[in-house]
Amino acid sequence: MLKSHEKYFSSTDGKRQILVVDDEQINREILGFMLQDEYDVLYAADGEEALDMIRSHAHTLSLVLLDLMMPKLDGFHLMDILRSDDELKHIPYIVLTSEKSAEVNSLKNGASDFIAKPFDQPEVIQARIQRTIELAEDKDIIQSTERDPLTSLFNREFFYRYVEQYDLHNPNANMDALSLDINHFHMINELYGWDFGDEVLSRIGNKVREMMAESGGIAGRIDADMFLVYFPSGADYEKLQEELCKDLLAGKKSNKVKLRLGVYPNVDRTVKIERRFDRAKQAADTIRDSYTRFVAYYDASLLQKELRNERLIESLDTAIAEHQFRIYYQPKYDITEEEPRLRSAEALIRWQHPEFGMVSPGVFIPLFEEKGLIQKVDRFVWEEAARQMAAWKDKYGIEIPVSVNVSRIDVYAPDFVDNFKALVARYGLRPENYFLEITESAYTEDSEQLLGVVERVRAEGFPVEMDDFGSGYSSLNMISTLPIDALKMDMNFIRNMHTRGSKNNRIIELMIDIAHYLGVPVVAEGVETREQVELLRHMGCNIVQGYYFSKPVTPEEFETFIEKRLEQC
Amino acid sequence: MLTIDKLNAFGADTQTGLGRCMNNEAFYFRLIGMALKDANFEGLKAALEAGDLDAAFEASHALKGVLANLSLDPILKPASEMCELLRSRTQMDYRPMLEELFQRKAELEAMQAE
Repeated sequence: MLKSHEKYFSSTDGKRQILVVDDEQINREILGFMLQDEYDVLYAADGEEALDMIRSHAHTLSLVLLDLMMPKLDGFHLMDILRSDDELKHIPYIVLTSEKSAEVNSLKNGASDFIAKPFDQPEVIQARIQRTIELAEDKDIIQSTERDPLTSLFNREFFYRYVEQYDLHNPNANMDALSLDINHFHMINELYGWDFGDEVLSRIGNKVREMMAESGGIAGRIDADMFLVYFPSGADYEKLQEELCKDLLAGKKSNKVKLRLGVYPNVDRTVKIERRFDRAKQAADTIRDSYTRFVAYYDASLLQKELRNERLIESLDTAIAEHQFRIYYQPKYDITEEEPRLRSAEALIRWQHPEFGMVSPGVFIPLFEEKGLIQKVDRFVWEEAARQMAAWKDKYGIEIPVSVNVSRIDVYAPDFVDNFKALVARYGLRPENYFLEITESAYTEDSEQLLGVVERVRAEGFPVEMDDFGSGYSSLNMISTLPIDALKMDMNFIRNMHTRGSKNNRIIELMIDIAHYLGVPVVAEGVETREQVELLRHMGCNIVQGYYFSKPVTPEEFETFIEKRLEQC
Repeated sequence: MLTIDKLNAFGADTQTGLGRCMNNEAFYFRLIGMALKDANFEGLKAALEAGDLDAAFEASHALKGVLANLSLDPILKPASEMCELLRSRTQMDYRPMLEELFQRKAELEAMQAE
């Protein structure tokens, strides 16, 4: 569809174009005479001729003035055609009629206005025509900015606004908030190309529109494959989900695409609109990796979780100020010799929350990462670990190497490297004893920028360990060039270590080989039994961390490990 | 030749009719000339003679529209009356009204010919 500003230039001498359709020449001429100064006027004497002209001028016509009673094709039929034709439906029309009863009918049939016969005085008609054209052009502009061009559904901003409008006009309707996305949409793009991916999205858009044609509601595409729908309550969502999935991959051999539907049923109108759809998404997230369930509902347990998360977020600053966070230290032992020796420690955060008791880092770390708050927590840990290292150095005269965790987002802070430099300087520590653990997936997801920062921090003397190795998707090619000082195998490999010669163990051996090839030590965490230690030693693993030696302990408790180490010397 | 005075004497609402024509007398007179030659006059007569009330309604409706736009009230009046009766396909003798219609039309044609 052409934008209105293009219309200005597409007709002759810059005038907007109007088609006058009436089977009576005198009527055509009267209207033409009224309009010819302002507009480029075209004429048609019956419905068929009119339709031909509308089609051939679809991109330049600003308005059609349409008589109702005409030979061949009458005005009502022509309106039906215009309304249902995607190429023509943007053109506004004003009905010319002498019948009072036809006026209302015309408006119901999509006419923008009507002009009564006999005609009013020219000024009245000119003003009504001008107004209709202006409104239609404004609507064009608004529609082109409020809709997603691929699916013609609302975009993010306007979707929420229209939901707000809907609420205002339907204060008592029971509504559900739906979130709709495709399991592994990126795979469709990768397998069949972006164009086909777009086609799938557009098919979903069509299906969503069909679904709303029957029941009403509002739909938007929020980004990529994420659709949101505000839908009247009471639908059979399992059935609906199946309908939506049908034929999405038409033309391809596979039909395995699955839409995941999250439903926040019977929304609470006091909850903010965006939050309602967050709830639908939260429900959908609970079946993220399921191959059997594709519809999930927001329920009381999710609500509780949400409320708790909110409380955790709210209490973060207080928690830091009031020292609710404590740093625990888990020893890492060098097992290359017969007698294991304390080599270093990993600093791990614990949260003793006044209301919820001990909160697992598995809960609050992903939450703070998602909300962009993890830097506050990480920086607190870094500082505390350095302070503790300095305290032990004072007490025992040695620097115990400690590793701290670095979240992906931390790396983008402009002062990332300077911050560590300042930290070790402040506490009089040597950077080579201050280890940074960075998870493997961070390397693979934004490798270029991250690698640059890692190189710089290593150049300052800080050793970098790749954490959770084997859980991400490093290519062998990439690993060979990685700037790292240790590989830390993902805990799951160690957990699954049972029998000699199993596949899992072969993979551990392979990872150890890679570490050896890179010339860096390999760390195994999550080690719980003597057998595992022996097996790892046999495989060539250098450093072990886990309950076999100790769970993470308070700094005070950790001192017994230091003291034992000092006795070994 | 037509003049505004003649049309006023005839009973046309020239102020309104001329107003629709942007007060352009020549244009107004030209359209009146066209209206007098409108095929729907003969079409209406033929349809009524044949008893085809559908066709008669359409013709009377078209005439009504044109005559109203030109504010030729004396001719409009019988056209309009017939149109309303024909709309409900009333079976009756339309000849007196048809005669009046042609009578008024003839009067105007006479003025035009003067």
